[in-house]
Amino acid sequence: MSTALTAAEPRGTIGLRAIAGRIGFLPGLLLLLVAGMSAVDPQFYGIINILNILRNASLLAIVACGQALVIVAGGFDLSVGAVVALASVVTAKTMAATAAAFPGNVVLVIASGVAAGLGCGVVVGLVNGFCVAKLKVSGFVVTLGTMSATAGVGLMITNGIPVYGMPDIFVKSFGRAQAFGLPTAVHVALIVIILMVFAQRRTLFGRYVYAIGGNVDAAVVSGVSIQRHIVGTYVVSSVLAALTGILLTAQVGSGQASFGGDRMMLQSIAAAVIGGVSLRGGVGRVELVAISALFLTILGNALNLLHVDSRLQPVFLGVIMVAAVALDELIRRRRGRV
Amino acid sequence: MSDLELSVMAKDTDRAKPLSDRCVWNAVLPAALVVLLFGFAAFDRSVLSSANLLNIAQQTSYLALFAMAQTVVILTRGFDLALGPTVSMVSVGTALAMAGAAATGHETGVVLLAGLSAGFGLGIACGLFNGVVIALLGVNPFVATLGSYNIAIGIATTLSSGRPVQGVPKIFSELFYGGSLFGVPAAIVITVAVGIVLHLILSRTVFGRSLYILGTNSRAAAVAGLPVKRILVATYVLCSALAALGAIMMTARTGSGEPNLGGALSLQAIAGAVVGGTSLAGGRGGVGTAVLGALFITILSNGMNLTRIDGYVQMVVLGAIVIIGVLLDRLRLERSSQ
Amino acid sequence: MDVDVAPKPAEPLLQLRGISKHFTGVQALDRIDLGVRAGELHVLFGENGAGKSTLINVVSGTFPPDEGSFHFEGEEIRHLTPQRARAIGISPVFQEFSLVPSLTVEENLFLGREITTGGVLRAREMRKRAQALIDELGFDLDPSRRVDDLSRAHQQMAEIAKALLGKVRLLILDEPTASLTERETGRLFELIARLKSRGVGLIYVSHRMREIRTLADRVTVLRDGRHVRTLDAASSTDGELVELMTGRKIDLLYPTITHKPGKVIVDVENLTLADGSVRDVNFYGRAGEITGIAGLVGCGKSELIRAIYGIEPATSGAIRIDGAPYEFPAARRSLKRGIAYFPANRTAEGLALSRPIRENASMTVLDLPAFARFGVLRQAAERAKIGGIMAQLQLRPPNIERAAGALSGGNRQKVMLARALTRELTVFLFDEPSVGIDVGAKLEVYEFMKSLVEAGAAVIVVSSELPEALALSNRLYVMHHGRIVAELTGADRTEQNVLSSFFRDHLTAEVA
Repeated sequence: MSTALTAAEPRGTIGLRAIAGRIGFLPGLLLLLVAGMSAVDPQFYGIINILNILRNASLLAIVACGQALVIVAGGFDLSVGAVVALASVVTAKTMAATAAAFPGNVVLVIASGVAAGLGCGVVVGLVNGFCVAKLKVSGFVVTLGTMSATAGVGLMITNGIPVYGMPDIFVKSFGRAQAFGLPTAVHVALIVIILMVFAQRRTLFGRYVYAIGGNVDAAVVSGVSIQRHIVGTYVVSSVLAALTGILLTAQVGSGQASFGGDRMMLQSIAAAVIGGVSLRGGVGRVELVAISALFLTILGNALNLLHVDSRLQPVFLGVIMVAAVALDELIRRRRGRV
Repeated sequence: MSDLELSVMAKDTDRAKPLSDRCVWNAVLPAALVVLLFGFAAFDRSVLSSANLLNIAQQTSYLALFAMAQTVVILTRGFDLALGPTVSMVSVGTALAMAGAAATGHETGVVLLAGLSAGFGLGIACGLFNGVVIALLGVNPFVATLGSYNIAIGIATTLSSGRPVQGVPKIFSELFYGGSLFGVPAAIVITVAVGIVLHLILSRTVFGRSLYILGTNSRAAAVAGLPVKRILVATYVLCSALAALGAIMMTARTGSGEPNLGGALSLQAIAGAVVGGTSLAGGRGGVGTAVLGALFITILSNGMNLTRIDGYVQMVVLGAIVIIGVLLDRLRLERSSQ
Repeated sequence: MDVDVAPKPAEPLLQLRGISKHFTGVQALDRIDLGVRAGELHVLFGENGAGKSTLINVVSGTFPPDEGSFHFEGEEIRHLTPQRARAIGISPVFQEFSLVPSLTVEENLFLGREITTGGVLRAREMRKRAQALIDELGFDLDPSRRVDDLSRAHQQMAEIAKALLGKVRLLILDEPTASLTERETGRLFELIARLKSRGVGLIYVSHRMREIRTLADRVTVLRDGRHVRTLDAASSTDGELVELMTGRKIDLLYPTITHKPGKVIVDVENLTLADGSVRDVNFYGRAGEITGIAGLVGCGKSELIRAIYGIEPATSGAIRIDGAPYEFPAARRSLKRGIAYFPANRTAEGLALSRPIRENASMTVLDLPAFARFGVLRQAAERAKIGGIMAQLQLRPPNIERAAGALSGGNRQKVMLARALTRELTVFLFDEPSVGIDVGAKLEVYEFMKSLVEAGAAVIVVSSELPEALALSNRLYVMHHGRIVAELTGADRTEQNVLSSFFRDHLTAEVA
């Protein structure tokens, strides 16, 4: 129809973006890594190693999905690592206490523990969301503060000593169980990812999170209530971190304030960013973040199998992260100004 | 000094009121400092002893130095997450260079020179990496410095094999820690001197002026022909060089190269800068805000230590203080712009 | 076109009485009255900064008014929010697009009004309705495209479609034709006629006399946040409207400039930009004359001078300054060669708002020994020089230590102009020099240009306001879709000729 109009648009670059933006180079990189490692070291595709990878990747993916949601809305959540620790400790403590009060009532014990753990996530998320959305303090500073406070509470409860006393059944038939040959964490992660993908694509909440991160002013003018959805992203992020804390606790068999921590927080951001979530907000898909979590876990595993000094491993992670984002930036620049 | 306030002052017809308002709000933090000191003194007299005051000043000087480093990059709307690991890396590098030079039988002067040049060399290299990745490759400062965070940790632990590096000559510790000028400990002398020079750089040089303009509106700075990329690189180099100086001072204090010396310093330094009133939105802050914030945090933890408040509770308090500090600062700005 | 809808005596659709709105230090609206009838197109007419955009923001619920009453369909409305406004049928089309760039057209259309079942989106139904709406409007728009992939004109269409989704009783259009072609404008006008016949009221903001003549039933003129007069469009003349708007006779608006064309200073040959916004452009600017470049928003005229200054990357072509080739232009080197650029968006690209006027004015001269030696600022000299220049430009109030953000649009432009006087310059590139400033300040800007030209400088002015481009320039280029389509000199410089050169281009493009 209107050739005069469409002629002004850069036609050819749309194809480039479809490839680089919609699918990304990540799955390719992942396949390359898997193929390379399988060729180099048969230990890599041993069943124990694969299960180990999947379990660790699942834990990271759950946290990273929540982190991704917050970043898509234009925020940051530095507190996730501390929430993992707090949820672990609180879950274990609550279970121990309930078990002492109502011995034998396993269902009640487990339910109360899990509820208390997830409750921690809700509380921290609400505090984060309230400070960011209502008090308008920068998300970076707020979650920096709650990170310190949450970690402090976790250590306070335990004095840094692991908490035992959970029902055996919680550890044996949940934490260390395997259904269809896969660890519990993998099932939980798959459910979380499916739910998050659904939320991002098909629900009002997901749509509004994209809109807020993409252009707050447009969202306001269009009548989207900003505060509620920002609080929502922080709550989801914290609850998912708490869930990870509970899974870790069930797997290890004790609640520990040393779970999660800065490492988990930084890795979750790394996974989100490498998975194509833009720190400018408005862009990012959870399924790619999950793939990126898998990629990071396999990378760590590969470095271990190749006997790369564990102390040197962070260097690889750092370089790959910067390279991934720099590459993304270059592609973005090539397709012209935004 | 906040220009927003200045603008408002000039605009309002009633000039006396905003002026008094401004004084009140600007005095909040210093007043809180005094209240804090006397509050702790009520519990424990020794807080106000001259020995403890000197101790506070000495402790503050390290954090103040790192907060100044962080402030420089925050002024440009960035931050340096890698500051802590840079400190660790510099500490290890300095100690190794000195130990090596001493082992091969060099004179003291050469040993010191080797240590200092290794330390500053590593620091500047790290700053260059950050600056180049951020300014030239256009990577978000968060991701870029998160990358170098991992890289620096990897290098620090690899070089040191994860253990403290011994063999730091006595003279080094005496010079940068034990020494004093007119009875004032070396750390304070160095920080005060650096603070004065940095203040002059920020307020009196083209570079300093450019930093503020760049942080306030980087597009305008580019259109006005300021060498934005070069300034950004220089900023990150300056930040890392200051961090290296701090690392050298801390290495002198411990008497060995410590691969974990930086620890949580990145975030502490950001907290210090931000609590003092440096704006994460860029263009606002300076040496004063950095020192004030560092002083506040140090007095708080010193007082809590002396009054035997549990270390974990301290983490909670510090977390809350960071958020409240920034919230107050925002309210202050809002109040003065009404 | 069907204009004369019989004015109904019934209660107006929208009735504002005594609406005031105060921003920090600025009285944006001062007791405004406005009535819009159903089926009426009511034009808001006024200078930039007269309060039109504040007023439409009040009507659409974005800004709550400080005082005054607001009646819509006979009911008093209090605490209007954007959601509520949409719910009762007030639909704004903003000039600053209210679209989220990372979402698709369809997602944007339904933003805030998604069709859902229990929080779950019903994508298929929304797609159907989006397509139906776009078809009904006759727009050439793909609902599944991402907004940041669209051209400006297509974004404008999406914006209009967004406003027309759902119940519409009052449609607000803020310069809707700014980036549309003639044909699209025609289509929009047909749409407006249809809406009017369905009893929809329209508030229409425009500077274009021709549009006002074609569409308006009544015109309300605003000046400095005050209601000047509301008149029937049919019984008022252009001169009358402009006089009411500016508060002065129109012929005083533009100074008489004596052009004495000298040698060619800026010479551009086959210039093509990396993003395709400028293609194969040849043009030149001479000393002692103002060279104008006119065209629609987004036609590449701004990008052209920005490329000369060195802030848009060029892929091919040559630029010569004073006969010498200028390769790889960059802002800093341009200034050294005597080229200055004055951006259209002074908030985004010109000023560091929270910094003092003094620092903003001296931003471009920090490399000169008069302002800094060995990297150390000479603050006393800076204060004296900038103080003198700002006094010469009649900055009001004359305090150079105030933050630039505290200034009005006109004074902000003066801070930018001060940069022209801080160093030796020969080429002045003005990008939309009078956007966002009041009439008085406009006149001062024009006088400033006149003094530059008469002192022998080469001045190039890019403007979307045709009268301005026509009145100031000695030679006028017309750009369309990245190409120069006409060069008009002398008596050929008429509005008619400029418009017909767009039109010609359309015909050829469609044939090809």
